[in-house]
Amino acid sequence: MTDKQSHKRLRKELSELQTTPMKNFRHIIVDERNILSWQGLIVPDNAPYNKGAFRIEIVFPSEYPFKPPKIMFKTKIYHPNIDEKGQVCLPIISAENWKPATKTDQVIQALVTLVNDPEPDHPLRADLAEEYSKERSKFFRNAEEFTKRHSEQRPSDN
Amino acid sequence: MSVDMNSQASDSNEDDFGPNSEEEEDEGGEEDDQGDIADYYEGVATDVEQQGADAFDPEEYLFTCLSYRESQKVLTDEVNSVASALKVLPAVAKLILVHFHWQVSVILERYKSNSSQLLCEAQVQPSTCRSVPASPQSLQCGVCLQLVRKDALLSLPCQHSFCKSCWEQHCTVLVKDGVGVGISCMAQDCSLQMPEDFVLPLLPGEELKEKYRRYLFRDYVESHFQLQLCPGADCPIVIQVQEPRARRVQCSRCSEVFCFKCRQMYHAPTDCGTIRKWLTKCADDSETANYISAHTKDCPKCNICIEKNGGCNHMQCSKCKHDFCWMCLGDWKTHGSEYYECSRYKENPDIVNQSQQAQAREALKKYLFYFERWENHNKSLQLEAQTYQRIQEKIQERVMNNLGTWIDWQYMQNAAKLLAKCRYTLQYTYPYAYYMESGPRKKLFEYQQAQLEAEIENLSWKVERADSYERGVGEVELSANDRGDLENQMHIAEQRRRTLLKDFHDT
Repeated sequence: MTDKQSHKRLRKELSELQTTPMKNFRHIIVDERNILSWQGLIVPDNAPYNKGAFRIEIVFPSEYPFKPPKIMFKTKIYHPNIDEKGQVCLPIISAENWKPATKTDQVIQALVTLVNDPEPDHPLRADLAEEYSKERSKFFRNAEEFTKRHSEQRPSDN
Repeated sequence: MSVDMNSQASDSNEDDFGPNSEEEEDEGGEEDDQGDIADYYEGVATDVEQQGADAFDPEEYLFTCLSYRESQKVLTDEVNSVASALKVLPAVAKLILVHFHWQVSVILERYKSNSSQLLCEAQVQPSTCRSVPASPQSLQCGVCLQLVRKDALLSLPCQHSFCKSCWEQHCTVLVKDGVGVGISCMAQDCSLQMPEDFVLPLLPGEELKEKYRRYLFRDYVESHFQLQLCPGADCPIVIQVQEPRARRVQCSRCSEVFCFKCRQMYHAPTDCGTIRKWLTKCADDSETANYISAHTKDCPKCNICIEKNGGCNHMQCSKCKHDFCWMCLGDWKTHGSEYYECSRYKENPDIVNQSQQAQAREALKKYLFYFERWENHNKSLQLEAQTYQRIQEKIQERVMNNLGTWIDWQYMQNAAKLLAKCRYTLQYTYPYAYYMESGPRKKLFEYQQAQLEAEIENLSWKVERADSYERGVGEVELSANDRGDLENQMHIAEQRRRTLLKDFHDT
């Protein structure tokens, strides 16, 4: 697969995202010189994350779409499925589950769902998963506090 | 300082280690149930002397070593029979066979009761019949998002159409990553498998096609319940059995010995899961256990530093001639008797009422006890392998000097071989004992383990000495006595080993 093909598909995906924007993924920034790296803001709907926005980076391999993209959180987040380094465990982009026909908006939709509703059964941070399962109100307080301190501002318009 | 094995007058000790030596019996015996176990095994002790016990080998296991071509034929025959019974293409039959671990009778039965359910479960047929959407959408390939002519689209029976170029790249990327069986449709949420005759024409170049065929063969053998690829480096041999079990198999080409079930080092009497757990634990705790690896210890009597240079754990200090056990540093006299205790870990019966720290200390102590013995027998095996080498050289030398023929001395080589076999089993009794729950069964196990260990050390002592006798011309006849003694000891050790395996392996 030539790089050109991965670029072609990414350009197409990007323009589709720009003509029909996603409610929960905003301010997409793509460096024209490197279309394989995207940044954007995840804007969750559910408490305790609905007071902030979280910057993520999506990196596409040169074999894209035959190999999955990688996602990193650039903004610190208090979440059982996202670790301190910003790594996230998302089954839809794991090597075993990846399907070339899966598009980036589907990947982001899966990510937003995971942020909104943590999955404590498959945690990256066992301590937070335990707090989430056993002391929900304490978890919410901590996560809200953490969001206030670290997250970015939510886009106000459209 | 090393233990001097040569100056030892073996005859003075010989009587102590005979099979029926019971002089020291009344020295130990603090446990009440010791007597019961001894009663239980009274019959066994006499069995050992009977020739009849030889006939039963608890490790006997029928297996065949197949060449690449022979194993291909085994697979092809099964593929053809399933393909014709199910009226599917051979490539599809292979996917079904892999899914059901090549249990042909299961497949045929399932096919009879519900054929389409079987095909769906094996992911060779879509579960819901979709009609091809006739919209103009079908002209866009869902992967490269380009518009393509309808006749350039390809699809599996699930009707998810993509352009040929995308299918090609999909297959190429996966095969380059080592995937054989398991390439599936590119559509989101569709796990329909791609048969090999769909994949092969899509791969560019003969080299990649050949790679794919190799990966397929590997996956076919791995998924087959009766086949196992030899784990030896670059060895193409496939081991075939009737009934898959955790048994010792050996490759006829590269001589690799392994457990058929888990393809790891053979590990009787311990089972596959337990040995994996044990080896992981040992790797995790390697730092803690490192201090044990010392090759020297001090003589418990005269404190002179002693280096262990043989596999036998019965040590004799070269300075004060004190006989002691390398493992527990106890007097060797107590080891030759019925009350051999060195292999048994004495658990603190009151531990549940102790503090957490005390329990942690106890857990570590217990682990180190077993690890130390596991590790020590492993080292003994290596040292005894050197003894085996020396024996072979010695035999060569004697034959060259006309001191008997090779046949006259072969018994020494056999003894060393048997010693390795017995000690190997003994080594693997320690992880077994470590994970065993306390109770009468563990007591029985430890009793047998102790018996086996005592006889192995006796054998090792004799093998090392058999090797180091210096004889003059004409002394070949004198060796007849030693030979009988050694062969008797071999027999006893092997019977102990078989008794233990019979009772505890794979029950």
